Amino acid sequence: MNAKKRKRIAITGMGTKNAIGADVPEFAAGLKQGRCGIAEIDLFDTSAFRTHKGGQVKNFNPRLAIPGTFSLKRMSRADQLSFAATLEALTDAGFDPLPDNVTEETGVAIGGGSGGLFEAENFYADLLKKGMAQAKFSRLATIYCASSADRIASALGLGGPKTTFMTACSAGATALGYARDLISGGQARIMLAGGVEPMCRITYAAFNALKSVDEDVCRPFDRTRAGLSLGEAAAILVLEPLEAAQARGAKIYGELLGYGVTCDSFHMTAPDEKASGAVRSMRAALADAGLSPADVDYINAHGTATPVNDVMETRAIREVFGKRSYDIPVSSTKSMHAHTLGAAGALEGIASLLALSGGFIPPTVNFRERDPECDLDYVTEGARRADLRVVLSNSFAFGGNNTTVIFGRYDGQGAAHA
Amino acid sequence: MPERRALPDARRVVVTGLGMATPLGVGKDVFAGRLFAGASGIGPVQAFDTQAAASRLGAEVRDFSPRDFISVKNLRRMDRTSLLTTASARLALEDANITVTEENRDRVGILLGTAFGATDVTVSVAGALLAEGPASVNPILVPNTVMNAPAGHASIELGFRGVNTTVTHFGVSAENAIAYAVSEIRRGAADVMLAGGADILSKFYYEALSKFRGLSPDNGGEEGARPFDAGRNGYVAGEGCGILCLESLAHARGRGAAIACEVTGAGLGSSRATPSGWPTGTEGIRRTFRRALADAAIDPSEVSAVSAAANGGRMLDAVEARAYEEIFTADAAPWITSVKGALGESFSGGGIRACALALSVEKGCLPPTVGLTRPITGLPLVWGEKRETGIRHAVQAGISFGGTYAYLVFSRYES
Repeated sequence: MNAKKRKRIAITGMGTKNAIGADVPEFAAGLKQGRCGIAEIDLFDTSAFRTHKGGQVKNFNPRLAIPGTFSLKRMSRADQLSFAATLEALTDAGFDPLPDNVTEETGVAIGGGSGGLFEAENFYADLLKKGMAQAKFSRLATIYCASSADRIASALGLGGPKTTFMTACSAGATALGYARDLISGGQARIMLAGGVEPMCRITYAAFNALKSVDEDVCRPFDRTRAGLSLGEAAAILVLEPLEAAQARGAKIYGELLGYGVTCDSFHMTAPDEKASGAVRSMRAALADAGLSPADVDYINAHGTATPVNDVMETRAIREVFGKRSYDIPVSSTKSMHAHTLGAAGALEGIASLLALSGGFIPPTVNFRERDPECDLDYVTEGARRADLRVVLSNSFAFGGNNTTVIFGRYDGQGAAHA
Repeated sequence: MPERRALPDARRVVVTGLGMATPLGVGKDVFAGRLFAGASGIGPVQAFDTQAAASRLGAEVRDFSPRDFISVKNLRRMDRTSLLTTASARLALEDANITVTEENRDRVGILLGTAFGATDVTVSVAGALLAEGPASVNPILVPNTVMNAPAGHASIELGFRGVNTTVTHFGVSAENAIAYAVSEIRRGAADVMLAGGADILSKFYYEALSKFRGLSPDNGGEEGARPFDAGRNGYVAGEGCGILCLESLAHARGRGAAIACEVTGAGLGSSRATPSGWPTGTEGIRRTFRRALADAAIDPSEVSAVSAAANGGRMLDAVEARAYEEIFTADAAPWITSVKGALGESFSGGGIRACALALSVEKGCLPPTVGLTRPITGLPLVWGEKRETGIRHAVQAGISFGGTYAYLVFSRYES
C-alpha cells in the first residue's frame, strides 16, 4: 500500500526487562550512560561451557513485577518476563486498565525464541533419567514458544489477533511490522507487539557449539571482535492509530513508518557476504515508508559482533547509503544488552524510539580497535545528543531472514520528547 | 451488507498453484483424487513403535521420496519438516507454472506456519547436552532446531529471496501464515507468496500428545478420527505439508496464469482459555468469523461452504458446531465438512486444508467428512460421499487450544 494512503501508526507505550533495564526509564538511562550489562551468568551453572558471560536479566522477581491478581502458575521465565513488560507498556500508554470496549479489538504479536525451554530442560533431564513413561509431562506444558502470547491475551481477556513469529533473531522486528499492518488492515485497534527471549542452557550450548560466542564481552565493529554475547529480554510496545492516540491525548514516542523483510537464500547460519539480503531489506523498508536513504539520521545496527556480520552489515550500509553512509551514525546497542535473539528487534525498536523521542544516539561500547573493513561512524566515544527524525533498525537472522524497521519522530500534540 | 470494495488488481490475491505432501498422497492430482473419493490417510503408525503410547493410529506421509524434489547437496542438511516443506513448495511453484529466475526471485517469498518445527532435532540436541555436556552438541544439527529452518531450506533450494517468515500458534499456525501472506501481497511487499504449514509425526511428539490425552481413544473405546460424530473420542495425530502459491491478481494476469480461486478475506482473533485448554465458549469463533467476512466484504448468507476445524475432539467439535448454529440461520446454513477425518490433526495442517478448499472452490465439490456416521448437529454436514455444489464463498476455520482463531475466505475467481 502507498505509504501516504496508509493509516499512520503511533507507539504510545513501551515496557522492557533486559540486562541494563528493569524498566524503560532505567533502559533509557543505561543507553545514555553506555552501561554494559554483559557479565557472569548466575541463572545456571556455566562451568562446563566454554564461555560464562551473558546479558542476563538480574534480580527478576516475578511476584514483584506482576500484581497478585494474576496467577503465575505454570508460567515460564519467558512468560513472566513478557507479561511484566506488557503490563509496564500498557500502564505507560495510559491503558491501566484497558477499557472493555478496546480489549476485544486488541491483539498480540510476539517474536518468540526459546519459549519455555529453560523450564523444559528439567523435563528433558527427567526424560533421560526415567524414560518417557515416567517423565513429568506437566513440565513440558510451558515449553511452547507461543505460550507467552497466549498468556498475555488470556490474562487480559484480549479478543484480537494473536501471532508468534519464529524467525530467530529477526522475529521481534517482524512482529512490530506485522502489528502495524494488522491495525491498518482493520484486524485490530491496538496491538501489543514485541519479543521475548529467555536465557537457557540449550540455547547457550547451541551458540557455544557454533563457536559464535565471545568469551569476553562482545565488541561490535571492533577489529578484535570474536563473536556475540547472548542475552535475554522482553520488549513490548503498544501500537495504535496516530489519530486515536491524539484523540485520547496519549504520549507518543514516534511512528512506525515502514518495514521490509527479505531472505538471503544463501546459508542457514552464515550471512551472505555479498550482503544482498541486508541491502534489499533496508531498501524494502525505505520503499515501504516512502523515504529515501537521504532521510535516515541514525542506524541502529544488527551489529552482533561476529566477525562476518559486522563486515557484511557495514558493506550493506555502504551500498544503500553510498557516500552518505560515512555521515550517518551507526551503533550496536547489543554491546550493552547483548544479543537477545527473538526479542532483539523489539528491544532495539524501543532503543530506537527512545533515541528519537529523547534526542540522543546510543553508543557502541566495549570498542577498542578500529577495523579497516568496518569504517563507518559507530559512535564509540559514548552517547551523543542529536536531533533525530528518522531511525532505521536492522535485524538479521539464522535462516537468512532479514528485517528492517523504520521509525519516525512525531512532533505534534502528545510528542514524548521534551 | 458490508460495503463492496472495488479492489485494484494489485491488492486482490489469487491462488495459482497447490503443492502438498500429505497422508492422502504427494502432489495435487493424487491428493485430489483420493480426497474427493473419501479415502482415509489414517492407519497404524509405521515410522516408529507406538508401544509407549496409548494409541496406534496416525496419518503419515508415505510414498514420499525427497530425492524426487530436492538436490542431493541440500537434502542431507534437512530434517523431515524441511524436506516436506521444500518438496511441497517446489510442487506449488510447478503447479503455478512459475520458474524462479534472477529477475523475479526478490519478489517471491514464503510464509510458513509450523506448530512444532523439528521437535525430534531439538530433543536430540537437548539429550546430548544434558547427558554428555556442551561439548557433545553437534553443530550440524543446531540450525535445524530453529523453527524457521524449513522456510530457510526451501528458499535456498528453490532460490527465491523475497519475504521469508515463519509463524507458530498450534492449530492455527498455517491459517495465520496464509493470512499474513495475503497481507504481504496486499501491501505490495511481494508478487508471489508460497504460504501454508508443515509438521511431522515423530515418536517423541506422538508419545507427548498421548500423554496430554488428546489422542483417540481417550476413553478406551475404538480408536479413530470422527469429526462431529456422537461417538468421537479424540483426534488422530497426523503430519504433512500443504502450500498455496498466492499471487497478486495483477501479477497472475500479467503472466497469463490459470487462477484456481481468490483469497478474499482473513480474520484473526483470540478468546480466554487456559494455556493448553480448548475454549468452552463460542465468542472467539464468532468474532473471528465476523472479522474474516468483513475483510472479504460478504455476509454470512453468502457463504456456501465451511471447512471446519473439528478433529474428533470432544470439546472442539461441540463448540465449533454450536458456534455455526448461532451464526447461520437454519434455512441458510452452508455445507460444512472436516477433512481431518481423512488427514488427522497435524496442527499446521491448515496448509493442506487450504489446498483442499481451493480445489473445492475450483471444482464446485466438497469432500466428505470421513469417519462421521452419527452427526451431533442438524447443520448440513457433508458425509458419506462428496457433495457437488456451486461454491461462491468458502470459509476455512482455524481454531486452536489456548484460544487462538484464524479464519480464511476463499472465493470463486471472477474477473
